[in-house]
Amino acid sequence: MKVDAAAYLGAWPFRNIDGTVRGLLAMMRELALDQALVSPLPAFFHTDPAAANDHLLRRLRGRTGLWAAPIINPRMADAGSGIERLARRPQVRAIRLTPGFHGYSAAEAREVVQGAAAYGLAVVIQLRMQDERSHPPTSRVPPAPLEEVIALAAGSPGTRLIAAAARLDEVTRHAESIRALPNLWLDISHLDGLECLKRASEVVGAGKLLFATCWPFFYARSASLKMQEADLPRREAEMVAGLNAADVFGLATQPSPAPSA
Amino acid sequence: MTRVDSAPGSHDPIIDIHAHPGYSLTLDGLREECRQLLREADRHGVSQVCLNAIADWSESPAPERVREGNDAVLALMSEHPDRVLGLCYVSPRHQDEALDEIDRCIGAGMVGIKLWVACKASDVLVDPIARRAAELRVPILQHAWYKVDGQLANESTPADVAVMAARHPETMIVMAHLTGCGERGLADIAPYGNALVDTSGGDPEAGVTELAVRRLGAHRVVFGTDSPIRSYGMTLGKVLGAKLSPAERALILGRNAARLLSRRAWPERSRGTGQ
Repeated sequence: MKVDAAAYLGAWPFRNIDGTVRGLLAMMRELALDQALVSPLPAFFHTDPAAANDHLLRRLRGRTGLWAAPIINPRMADAGSGIERLARRPQVRAIRLTPGFHGYSAAEAREVVQGAAAYGLAVVIQLRMQDERSHPPTSRVPPAPLEEVIALAAGSPGTRLIAAAARLDEVTRHAESIRALPNLWLDISHLDGLECLKRASEVVGAGKLLFATCWPFFYARSASLKMQEADLPRREAEMVAGLNAADVFGLATQPSPAPSA
Repeated sequence: MTRVDSAPGSHDPIIDIHAHPGYSLTLDGLREECRQLLREADRHGVSQVCLNAIADWSESPAPERVREGNDAVLALMSEHPDRVLGLCYVSPRHQDEALDEIDRCIGAGMVGIKLWVACKASDVLVDPIARRAAELRVPILQHAWYKVDGQLANESTPADVAVMAARHPETMIVMAHLTGCGERGLADIAPYGNALVDTSGGDPEAGVTELAVRRLGAHRVVFGTDSPIRSYGMTLGKVLGAKLSPAERALILGRNAARLLSRRAWPERSRGTGQ
């Protein structure tokens, strides 16, 4: 079972990319992925992400193997009721928070995180999307510090938190804290460096890592090759490839039919 | 060890034009790091790796540190003769020593020159080095990046590389860091046929390799990882995941580098000695 914990639909304003359902399904076929957790790219830039989330849910409706992680802006006064509304949709398995894009600290998201947990949703916190050296000059977005997400997880033991897009040096620096928190996981989308996945697995354990492509923002093949080159023991590879995600997002672990086109 | 299906069906060589032996400051440490690097390269079928040791990673190192780094690369070349190629790192701020070092290292079998952040590529201090590279028919791998958060004091932008390429049309220049140079960087060097770009630098942002091929042509894009800073999988994904023809992919992964690195002439004073 293989799950992509970070895929997207929609356009990114600074680059010529546009994630479509057809493209996503083609990518999943190419990499033999069974399921994907999908968020709307435009919502990173919308103060109120509700319309982009609704559009995402319409596009995913009836699609086997595609799950939604709508983006929530905790600075919106109705964020809590928005989560309640989203949680009624069976395709929604998580919410994604983008602190750098919406201008808040991870600590300020505590209420929203605990609200999501009350509805059984996992919470993905996006540390970054792009290398900070190469941001568009009109849109420089500070990374969300991993230590803030760690503190949030420590203070919210009833939640399932995923820190997305951490770098290997950040993971290594905070490995002990990450290992100690049973409710915190990491996606592998932005891990880089020689033997990066193997090293991350050594310092935090394979049970903490979720396969993630960041498609269509990144070439999905990069994540696939990174996974293969790690040469993890079989059980650990299965955990990273999909079993951890199934556990965190409440997905079926039996082999499923190919995602519907 | 599991072999990754990086280039299914391809028997073309894969050459990494941009890698470093490691972070260690001792030869024994670099030996171990190089073994790790070659192990990962093996998994992906990367046949040859061009190593450059940028001394002690300081911006403008002393000539003795430069020489130590190059000695380490020469040692690794002799220990892995079929796998490791060497690029000679020098600082243009120490002109005489730099030219002597280039002659020494190319004479001992290195196949190119590496310039980093000691001096901008557009600085006249680089001119004698660029001329020597043309005489020896070896490429210069030149660091470059457009950083929105500020360049280092003497760090080159792609515009600096374009100045260098215009001033030295006989010198082959590989501008490092495709993703870091981006659309602007490709536009900067596009008019200069002696300037290529390597695929290293930054995250595997989708579309960047296709953009480089559209701007420069596949014959001016070469595979480079910047390993150990980057993983082979992440960087190979930029080429294997891009919408390219098999011929374009083969050029980028190895044929362009093979062509570029086979032009070398021996330095006059060490011709045939290997010293």
